[in-house]
Amino acid sequence: MNKNTGRMDMYDLVIRNGRVVDGSGMPAFTADVAVKGDRIVRIGRVEQAGAREIDASGKVVAPGFIDPHTHFDAQLLWDGAAKPALSHGVTTIVSGNCSLSLAPLKAEHRMKLVGMFNQIEEMPLKAFKEGVVWDWETFPEYLARIRKGLSINVGQLVGHSVLRLWVMGEAAMERTATDAEIAEMQALLRECLDAGAIGLSTSYVDMDETLKPVPSRYADAGEVEALAAVLSEYGRILQIVPEFYDPDLTIARLDQLAEISLKYGISTTFSPLFVNADNIAAVDRVMARVDEQFARGARVWPQVQTRPIDISFSFAVPSLIFIRLPGWYNIMRFGTPEEIVAAFAGGESRERLIAEATPMMDLWSFLKLRQVASEANQQYVGKTLAEIGKLRGVTALEAMIDLSVEENLDAHFMAENMGHNEDGKVGSLLRHPRVHIGASDGGAHILSFSTYGDTGYLFGHFVRDAKLLSLEEAVKKITSDTAAIWAIPERGLIAKGLIADIVVFDPAAIDRGEEVYVQDVPGEGSRYVRDAHGVDTVIVAGGVAWSAAEGYTDDARGAIVPPAIAASAELEAA
Amino acid sequence: MPCTRLIDTNGGEKIVTSMTAELSPVRKSILPKGGDTWTSIAARELPGVAEADAVGMLQSWNLHVFMRAAGGVGRMRGDNPILPSDVIFVEAPRA
Repeated sequence: MNKNTGRMDMYDLVIRNGRVVDGSGMPAFTADVAVKGDRIVRIGRVEQAGAREIDASGKVVAPGFIDPHTHFDAQLLWDGAAKPALSHGVTTIVSGNCSLSLAPLKAEHRMKLVGMFNQIEEMPLKAFKEGVVWDWETFPEYLARIRKGLSINVGQLVGHSVLRLWVMGEAAMERTATDAEIAEMQALLRECLDAGAIGLSTSYVDMDETLKPVPSRYADAGEVEALAAVLSEYGRILQIVPEFYDPDLTIARLDQLAEISLKYGISTTFSPLFVNADNIAAVDRVMARVDEQFARGARVWPQVQTRPIDISFSFAVPSLIFIRLPGWYNIMRFGTPEEIVAAFAGGESRERLIAEATPMMDLWSFLKLRQVASEANQQYVGKTLAEIGKLRGVTALEAMIDLSVEENLDAHFMAENMGHNEDGKVGSLLRHPRVHIGASDGGAHILSFSTYGDTGYLFGHFVRDAKLLSLEEAVKKITSDTAAIWAIPERGLIAKGLIADIVVFDPAAIDRGEEVYVQDVPGEGSRYVRDAHGVDTVIVAGGVAWSAAEGYTDDARGAIVPPAIAASAELEAA
Repeated sequence: MPCTRLIDTNGGEKIVTSMTAELSPVRKSILPKGGDTWTSIAARELPGVAEADAVGMLQSWNLHVFMRAAGGVGRMRGDNPILPSDVIFVEAPRA
């Protein structure tokens, strides 16, 4: 008996009076949604009570969002909710992108992979040292490790670079593979796919911690095809990072992907595809080629992120924003905090740094102060360095240096809208039927910008404010479309019989919050995050995993998607 | 003639076929064969052009490879900057 309604409980959960946007793209409708166990069992008028009831009046009830491009691999070892992704309504993440996964990985290669994660994804070394107990080597062992305590669903890619490391050792970073080594990689990939890997990722651009190409870049086209042939056996996806800075190179790569897609009948995706004021024509060329390849029957999904490029930094950690200023980058990369403060404080070193950075005064003037620790400097938060410099009677550059010294390097600056900010063009891409919304990089670059809240930004900025997509289009894009592209079964729709991954949100309020620097990474590490606005309840497999009222719960029902092959066979038989 | 690429899984050889009707012409490129160098690609893709000129053209069309540091002394790739996964353009950018 439900003590609130006086009715007999027939369902575990009933979400009442919501505006159901079911993920199919069909118009929204008002209905109740009933859940029993991990399944949606009724949509419509629900008379019977639920053991738990959620009043969704005025809110949207949608399938849980799916984020196809993340690097939560390490974070999942200490945080099964991939915080704060879950609170933004993301119920499924894909990790292991860009040729890098944490398995399969022999013990002797662990530090090599940590170096690559640190260089490419900016995951701090200390987080690995203090947050990770290395108790796996094989892919099934890694999945078993993260499965414990998962609140969010995880699609785990196999990284091509780690496959090569396992089979070839150091030679993975030197040469092409022999036929025998390729056969061994194929067998290893099969083992991963049997265990539930969602596909394979590779990279054509990334560099390791010694600035050498990552192992996947030493593979020839034949090796990639041999692995694609294995993906074909399982109907699984290939993800790549192309040379996205050059449209001719991007087109050449998508042609290569298209041939693989056609020959092996698999889905492929490349990320990222950025739009800037000076490359709109280039993006149009890439998209024209995507259209042509789809017309031929190939599946080559470009991933486009919703948020503009913002870069945040403090001088406590190295930032790529200074990579073209050797004096600055050197002191940030190799100097202790005390040495950096000393270099900034005065004397010849300060003058030398100012001279080196003065030609970029336009950039420094445009930066905003985002966060400081001291009360005295709170008055400047939110102002540009040009404004702060004027108030202090110094240049923007000097203001940045002085604030950093005064805050003992705990002053945080943000370069907003550095790219991917042509709203009309980005919006038209997000609507494009052959564009895949993704590329959030969730869990990566944690010391440069927040990779969380892209879904809130999609609904708040592109749907509600700019009106460039309808609510139904946006929901479909990040739910059923994504599930279809990645062959994720039983998720992505509000439909009877499917798994109850559901997000309840207020369409008038959903958004991402301000970027803040928080200390919640193992080893006393910090990162930039954004809180969710307007999200009410996030349900994974029928259980409330997060709500605005309760925060994160202990109801950990996250799963590995797709299920392992044995489980899939049971599903097919059923 | 405009072309598209197909890859032979035996040894990673590329096969160039005539373009299908659906595809527009794009800048012509190849994927390297095992052990390819600027010189070997020049000889194969730009026959009839003097070797030094052909190598110079290839390098200017492929700055993404040419400007990359090579493998380094003692490395198996020696001073050859071409990676097995590279796209190598064999013509200038189209207008």
